Amino acid sequence: MDQKSDSPIVSLRNVNKSFGRVFALEGINLDFYPGQIVSLVGDNGAGKSTLTKIISGTEDPDAGGEITIDNEKVVKWSAARARNRGIETVHQNRALSEQQSIYANVFLGREKTNRFGFVLRKEQIEETEALMRKIGYTSKVWTPKSTVNKLSGGERQGVAISRAILFESRLVMLDEPTTAMALSEAAEVMDFIRELKKAGKSVIFISHNPWDAHMVADRFVILERGRVVYDAPKDDMTADQFIALLHKFAKKDAS
Amino acid sequence: MTAITQTEKKKKVLIPEEYRPVFGAAVFFLVMMVAFIGSAPDVFLTVGIYTAIFLSLPLFTIVGIGLVYITAAGEIDISFPSIIAISALAFAWTLEQTSLNFGLAILAAILTGSACGWVNGFLVTRLGLSSLITTLGMNFALVGLTNILNNGVVRSIYDIEESKFRAILVGSWGPIPAQMFWSAGIAVILGLVFHRHRFGIHVKVAGDNPEAGRAMGVNIERTKTLAFILVGVCSAITGILAVLLNSTFFPTMGDGYLLPALAAVFVGGTPVTGGKGTIGGVVIGAATVVFIQTGVVAAGLDGYWTSLGFGLVIILSLIGHRRFSGKLTR
Repeated sequence: MDQKSDSPIVSLRNVNKSFGRVFALEGINLDFYPGQIVSLVGDNGAGKSTLTKIISGTEDPDAGGEITIDNEKVVKWSAARARNRGIETVHQNRALSEQQSIYANVFLGREKTNRFGFVLRKEQIEETEALMRKIGYTSKVWTPKSTVNKLSGGERQGVAISRAILFESRLVMLDEPTTAMALSEAAEVMDFIRELKKAGKSVIFISHNPWDAHMVADRFVILERGRVVYDAPKDDMTADQFIALLHKFAKKDAS
Repeated sequence: MTAITQTEKKKKVLIPEEYRPVFGAAVFFLVMMVAFIGSAPDVFLTVGIYTAIFLSLPLFTIVGIGLVYITAAGEIDISFPSIIAISALAFAWTLEQTSLNFGLAILAAILTGSACGWVNGFLVTRLGLSSLITTLGMNFALVGLTNILNNGVVRSIYDIEESKFRAILVGSWGPIPAQMFWSAGIAVILGLVFHRHRFGIHVKVAGDNPEAGRAMGVNIERTKTLAFILVGVCSAITGILAVLLNSTFFPTMGDGYLLPALAAVFVGGTPVTGGKGTIGGVVIGAATVVFIQTGVVAAGLDGYWTSLGFGLVIILSLIGHRRFSGKLTR
């Protein structure tokens, strides 16, 4: 597949982010294309989460850099605007309000309401149910009306993922989606990521597990200390070669 | 595992989880009423005591509803007694100045209450101050401001007793004071907003996991500020009703609301930890509190028993809610 013929959904140009005197991200230039899965890897503190937060609008980049969506420069980027442009994020902490119902969480920030702002409860419940069934999270124990604090870790991730695909998303970022998951649940998440690709969405996948990162990726981006140190398509790189590559950067970093 | 599932299901069919706090508060209220009727049947089986209680009950209910919002939003507001007083002053003063223009006076009171709420919201959300301490400070500051503006006067506006607006707002509709209907209307509307409106959901998310809300594009700061403003508006309505009932403004108007109104919130089953709450619960909670206030004296007990009654009711109801709604209530 030739991604370069499509124009990127999201582009970052010279994006910096500093916390005080420490650069969390430095001179980031990246493009994300439709139908491509990018595995974003790097050590703790390399800037992976900061990068996703900037793209998803929950963290502001330093002045000077540029974010473009569909080749259009964005101004006043925010989480609400990012979601309106089809950028959905499955945050590492899952970003769920545990005391609220599953359906309230799925529609959080995007409630279906009548024109007075009152929630269309029945519609939201039905859509949540259909969605959960579609991605394979069904249960006799809970319904869309159950509160999130009743769910297991994997089920909670299911809610966060459902939320990311419910709307017309074009770029889906998953930050460590398989942590604290049973193997079978993790396998379902990996299948789900492939489905996203098939549907022509752009995916950014962050994982500490190099095998997972290798398995689904079309392209690898390696971050070290806030810089992009590697950015290339997977081609025929094997998992062993990929892990050797990671080790090389990790060693360099340690020295 | 299956056994647990089945028992959970059975419980759910009995009383759905979201209604348990209201149900618990209602049971508690009924037990208390049975105790009151048992101890003083001649008092509690006559209409008179209820008319007396219904005069002041709506005032506690309305301000209590506002407090459920701010508590669910994960903050607390203890400046409402002085917001009641300063809004009441705005109301009484405007009535005097405009020779009883009720529309303007109500507007003035509600704007005053909103402004106080906005200041609370600004200090807490924009400057990141603790809401407990901020509103403690505001409570003192507003008491001072009320006294400075009022200059030590007691404003009697007996002229309003002839007014038809007063009759509509706090007159008697049959044996029931009009304010009962107003507070019921407010409870229904703000109950629907709390439990079914986008704003109500955002309030609860703000108190439960503000980061989750922010990540999903909810403006948490604005939501909390609006909740503070709502407390201000509810306090203003209580202030208006208090002036109308007494035909007088006095600067200590808000005294005596602080602890009963907060007690109504918690007795009603809204947890102090934020993230959820119940409007039906606070309505019953306010009734419980006001019945104790009036009931203890009416039952022939010394007034000192009221405080003991409050204390016991708050603690017992907390134990009850925790048992009944499970450990999730915290």
